[in-house]
Amino acid sequence: MKAFLTKLYIVSFMVLTLFFMVLTWNLTFGKLIEEQSRRKSDDQADSLKALADGKEEQSFKKIILEGDEKVKHYLGYRVLEEMKLEGHFHHIDYEMEPDNRSTCVECHGDIPHDAKKEIRAFGNMHSAFIACETCHVRLEGDQKTGAFKWYGRKTGEIIPSPIKEDLAPGFYHAKIIPFGVIDGKLQRIDTQSQIDFAREYQKSEKTLSDPQKAKAKKIIHKFVAEKAYVCEDCHRGKDSLLPFENLGYSKKRVDLLVSSEVVGMIRDYTKFFVPEMLHPGLSETEAKKLEKQ
Amino acid sequence: MRCKKLLKYAAGISAFVWVAVLFIFCEARAADIGNCLLCHKYPGLSRIDENGDLKLLFINESVFNNSVHANVKCEGCHPDIKKIPHENVRKVDCMLECHIIEPSSEKKFSHKDVETFLSRSVHSKIDKEGKPKKYPEDYPDCKDCHDNPLYRPLSFFKKVRPGISEIVLGRCRVCHKKDEFIFRFYNHITTRLHAIRSPKNIAEVCAKCHEDPALVARHGLSRKAVSSYAETFHGKAANYLSEGIPDCLNCHVNIGESVHQMLSHKNPESITFKDNKIKSCRMIDCHPHASAKLAKYDVHPEFDKEKSPMEYYFTAFFLILTGGTLLPLAGIMFLDLGRRLFSRKKEDKE
Repeated sequence: MKAFLTKLYIVSFMVLTLFFMVLTWNLTFGKLIEEQSRRKSDDQADSLKALADGKEEQSFKKIILEGDEKVKHYLGYRVLEEMKLEGHFHHIDYEMEPDNRSTCVECHGDIPHDAKKEIRAFGNMHSAFIACETCHVRLEGDQKTGAFKWYGRKTGEIIPSPIKEDLAPGFYHAKIIPFGVIDGKLQRIDTQSQIDFAREYQKSEKTLSDPQKAKAKKIIHKFVAEKAYVCEDCHRGKDSLLPFENLGYSKKRVDLLVSSEVVGMIRDYTKFFVPEMLHPGLSETEAKKLEKQ
Repeated sequence: MRCKKLLKYAAGISAFVWVAVLFIFCEARAADIGNCLLCHKYPGLSRIDENGDLKLLFINESVFNNSVHANVKCEGCHPDIKKIPHENVRKVDCMLECHIIEPSSEKKFSHKDVETFLSRSVHSKIDKEGKPKKYPEDYPDCKDCHDNPLYRPLSFFKKVRPGISEIVLGRCRVCHKKDEFIFRFYNHITTRLHAIRSPKNIAEVCAKCHEDPALVARHGLSRKAVSSYAETFHGKAANYLSEGIPDCLNCHVNIGESVHQMLSHKNPESITFKDNKIKSCRMIDCHPHASAKLAKYDVHPEFDKEKSPMEYYFTAFFLILTGGTLLPLAGIMFLDLGRRLFSRKKEDKE
């Protein structure tokens, strides 16, 4: 036993010595070699790039993967870390967690609305806390229950309402999903079997024939309504699609969401000029004066 | 006894009311007269533009309220936005006059002077003869160096909260009545008493251009300025977030002048001109008694035989000395341990 322990002791010292040798190599000769080769490749890149006269290579890696950089601002009393957006003036200081549940997002992305210039940004704003199915699936007849719940973006699990008094609107890290009667049971409409089907399709897409792909897409999108719900379906005083109070919104927030400020803006959207009502705290004449200025 | 209790309650309630009023003032600081935050307060308000770039239209109200522009109305910088949906929104012109009155001149505030300073600097797009320089797109615009500057009070309490002194605020309240004004003025002054960004952040801003190999090559710059700064004692301290060491601006801007008026090292008026360098080293906060020789020290050394031969050979010598000593020593130790291991085996057999 003693001999075994002594051997173990010596072997562990040998390993430690080897580790120390590798470390020393990396910090000395390794560094010299690495520095020389880096300089050579830099010089090559310099001359190539200078020749290209400023036109940089536009690769997938450069545009998509390297575009997800973070930037840290050292304020002394805190470090503000946020997404790096070239030329963006305002600070973000908010991390949008990935939606790990939604299979729609896996193909359409987290900023899916693009077609209509007038509503694309509003659509994307809502898709940060409303699941795609909430607007793009119309449950009819027995399936329709009027029930909606929140699910965590990260876990995908149903959670209690994330709305809190001190939490700014939209900072929920959660999304609203409709519940319907599916297979005779009340359940969320993004069922696990649908998710599994969509993920299986994504995995095997390359190996499928064109008719197989078309069939799979048809099945995945079979619940998607031809006409999605529009703003007024929720932002109205009576019979709103979303039961705001059941979802945890305070009375004050509900009043704002169905107020003339929001509803009126939506109604007059296409011919809308900043009206007096969007100048809180100013009299009508003051607001008009401000607009003229 | 009962009276004392009542007094205690009254004091408690008045303290609560005071805190609530202060809180309301702080919340009401945003200059959102146009109620733009009705939509822009949502983090998801965004789109992907025609070039595939993310356009994030979200304004984080609490961070914005802690910035030097918190008192500027949205319309102050975006005066062309009058309609929803916003159409053909113009790029923000930082030279616009805004509604704030500059107290010493009593004129409307503008960054116009910065444009003048910049036109005299090495970063101007125009040369001395008024002609555009080669590669004008490489020269910086406001947003290449600036995002919305955040307040950075002079001291930090245990590095977890800004060092805003309640005692000093109490002195302010003797004459000034609005807490909103006091908060802003205090932050403005204490932020401006030191650099608004840490030396590490300043180096990162300069690195955007001065570490870009293509830009460095196009303009024939002799060094990669920021990585070479990082090799020095100053740069290493900056990397550890030291606030007491010189950043790029401390050495490259003439003392007492605008940082926007950075001159070429070839200009005899520049602090980086070979005979003037010592002035920045001798600043009272740095090395006030330094000999003129100190300025000859290369603050942008690169591990390169041609550019910094002295530093190159010194570094190489020490690397080789360290490796050449420690590696054979470790090798001998390894062999010795091996001998002990195998000799034990023999002894065991015997």
